[in-house]
Amino acid sequence: MEFGPGFWGPIVATIVMLLGAGFACLMLLGSRKISKVRPSIAKRSTYGCGEEVKPEEVIADSEQFYSPIRRVFKPFYRYIQPGHSGKLNTYLLWVVIGFIAILVAIALVLR
Amino acid sequence: MIEIPPIIAIVLPLFGAFLTPIIATISRRYDAERKVCGWFTVAITIAMLLTVASMGARIWGGEVIVYRLGGWSPPWGIVLAVDGLNLLIALIVAGVSSLVAIYSLVYMRRDTRIDLYCALLLLVTAGAMGITLTGDLFNLYVFFEIMSISSYALVAFRRKWDSVEAGIKYMIIGSLGTSLILLGIALLYGMVGSLTIADLAQKLGQIAPSDVVVPLALLVTGFGIKIAMIPLHAWAPDAYQAAPSSISALLAGATTTAGLYAMIRVVYMMFGAFGVGTIFAIFGLVTMVLGALMALTQRDLKRLLAYSSISQMGYILLGVGFGTALGFQGSLFHLLNNAIFKALLFMCAGAILYRVGTTNLDELGGLGKNMPITAGLFAIGALAISGVPPLNGFASKWTIYIAGIEAGKAVFSLIAIIMSVLTLAYFLKAINSIFLGQRPKRLQNVEEAPLTMLFPMMLLAVLCIVLGVLPSLGIDLVAPAQGAIMNQSGYIHAVLGGI
Amino acid sequence: MSLNYVVAMLLIALGLYCLLLKRNLIKMVIGLGVMTDGIHLFLISMGYREGGIAAIVPAGMLQDNVAAGFASAAVDPIPQALVLTSIVINICIVALALSMAIWVYHHYGTLDPSEVRRLRE
Repeated sequence: MEFGPGFWGPIVATIVMLLGAGFACLMLLGSRKISKVRPSIAKRSTYGCGEEVKPEEVIADSEQFYSPIRRVFKPFYRYIQPGHSGKLNTYLLWVVIGFIAILVAIALVLR
Repeated sequence: MIEIPPIIAIVLPLFGAFLTPIIATISRRYDAERKVCGWFTVAITIAMLLTVASMGARIWGGEVIVYRLGGWSPPWGIVLAVDGLNLLIALIVAGVSSLVAIYSLVYMRRDTRIDLYCALLLLVTAGAMGITLTGDLFNLYVFFEIMSISSYALVAFRRKWDSVEAGIKYMIIGSLGTSLILLGIALLYGMVGSLTIADLAQKLGQIAPSDVVVPLALLVTGFGIKIAMIPLHAWAPDAYQAAPSSISALLAGATTTAGLYAMIRVVYMMFGAFGVGTIFAIFGLVTMVLGALMALTQRDLKRLLAYSSISQMGYILLGVGFGTALGFQGSLFHLLNNAIFKALLFMCAGAILYRVGTTNLDELGGLGKNMPITAGLFAIGALAISGVPPLNGFASKWTIYIAGIEAGKAVFSLIAIIMSVLTLAYFLKAINSIFLGQRPKRLQNVEEAPLTMLFPMMLLAVLCIVLGVLPSLGIDLVAPAQGAIMNQSGYIHAVLGGI
Repeated sequence: MSLNYVVAMLLIALGLYCLLLKRNLIKMVIGLGVMTDGIHLFLISMGYREGGIAAIVPAGMLQDNVAAGFASAAVDPIPQALVLTSIVINICIVALALSMAIWVYHHYGTLDPSEVRRLRE
């Protein structure tokens, strides 16, 4: 098993990634030299697509951090996440359902 | 000739566990109980690691070491049989337990009853080592129970509200699992009349596959509870969150590895049921997806790492489910890597908990200036688990992806790659919330973790980098194990042929 | 002989019912004990032989050809050994579960598993 079809082994991939990062750093430093940072009130305030955004709504706590991804996988977060309710009887019911599912699956495969 | 290393590797931690309370009582008189118990545990686990490593040269030469307890031959007596697969898992278990023992020297400094902790730690290690080295099915069940019961007690060690809640839940779900395993063994004994794994493998090859559906399902469910397969995973987040962090590292590294070894040995080498691979692939995929999605919205660091553990076990089941030689190599390599970087991450979480007192992501922040070494090691672990080159996660995940494409199941590889990206996402959230960003005022005087706690973490990080830069080293470690899985008849001949 | 197996399956089903549907930790531990008793009964009944003798060679048999006659008359001793081991393991499990239930009562004030759920999601 060679790691990478032909050329892209892990060492080469790392060197290319580091070169790319170094290049991006150089571009960033170069742009700072060319144009100075000129802050203004309009630039510092948060852009909310034209709406009023209060400062305390902007910082997301750790649960809402990935709210776009939560919107993409909405059926999961509506049914399965609250299903982990913490009740022991529900967890034992899952074990029994899991056993029945494995039994049916193996019976279908090993006929 | 009598082979000594397998039995010594099991007897050392077992008798060490029984000697620990005696040593603690004697040393309490000289007020040195903590030091003596801690260093005794470290000495025993390192001696066990050296014993296991001494078998390495002979097993990688192709031999299967068989030890008959009491001199009785199988199938009438109990055997310990060590081949390539057993040796890999035994090395992982011994390595993780010795590093956890060194880490616990400082981490458990603020807890009382350190003698009970060391005794239980040695019992978990003895149980895990017994599972990996035995060749008898009921012996495997007994050592599985030893390992499980000691880990229930260790999860509830601190006797606070979260520890006892997690402990009772883990205990009841785990006991249901081991009862199902006992029922499966009972059905198998009634069907065939033997308990040695090699003998069962020979006799089960002669009966129709449709007769063994119920015992196989019972055994897969029982072992699946231990490795936290979906939907049997519900105990895992609570147990990893509430246990002391050294025990979380031990659970993630040693007991899950031993459980997965038991599953592979029973399903693939005893039943010979290579057709069950598709079921493992589907369950592995669901496990991977659910673990990653649940980890994205967690508030607590150790709970996030627990769901990440569940997700990585999904990768390993996916690799096993592909059924090809490359799939087995990839999943065994990922098992080795999972033990290394999961133990590293849980030890880093323990270092943060030791110095700060909380692992809630909302209350931490900006600790990168206070704890630079811990931050660097956590970053290495996080990048390794996400599959970023040149670290070891990249090599094993790459092997699993290529195995999926070669087995014709490219969709599984695609979903696995997407879940890898989500893994990087939630680890970046964790690093950002803990080490970067604004530091709250009350965390200004947090110091770096003590050196004895940093030493096992640095060793694991060096292993991450070495196995990533030289992935052929990892594949060479894993290839004998993969060869042993495919070589069922060789195992049967070696164990039974010595009569 | 099938009465033993029917009763064993009934015990396992009853134990599982207690585990899944009872709202008290002590009752769940009792259910676990009943379920393992069912498994032990199942295991013992598998080794039983109608009209068989215990698996100890009686003094009168020692002079003749012991192996042939004894093996066809004795019950199987291996399931008995397995069940003895399993009973001891279950003592440990029940003792540890009950002591953990005592600590849960100390911290939460109740033994109802649907109240003991501060760790969720």
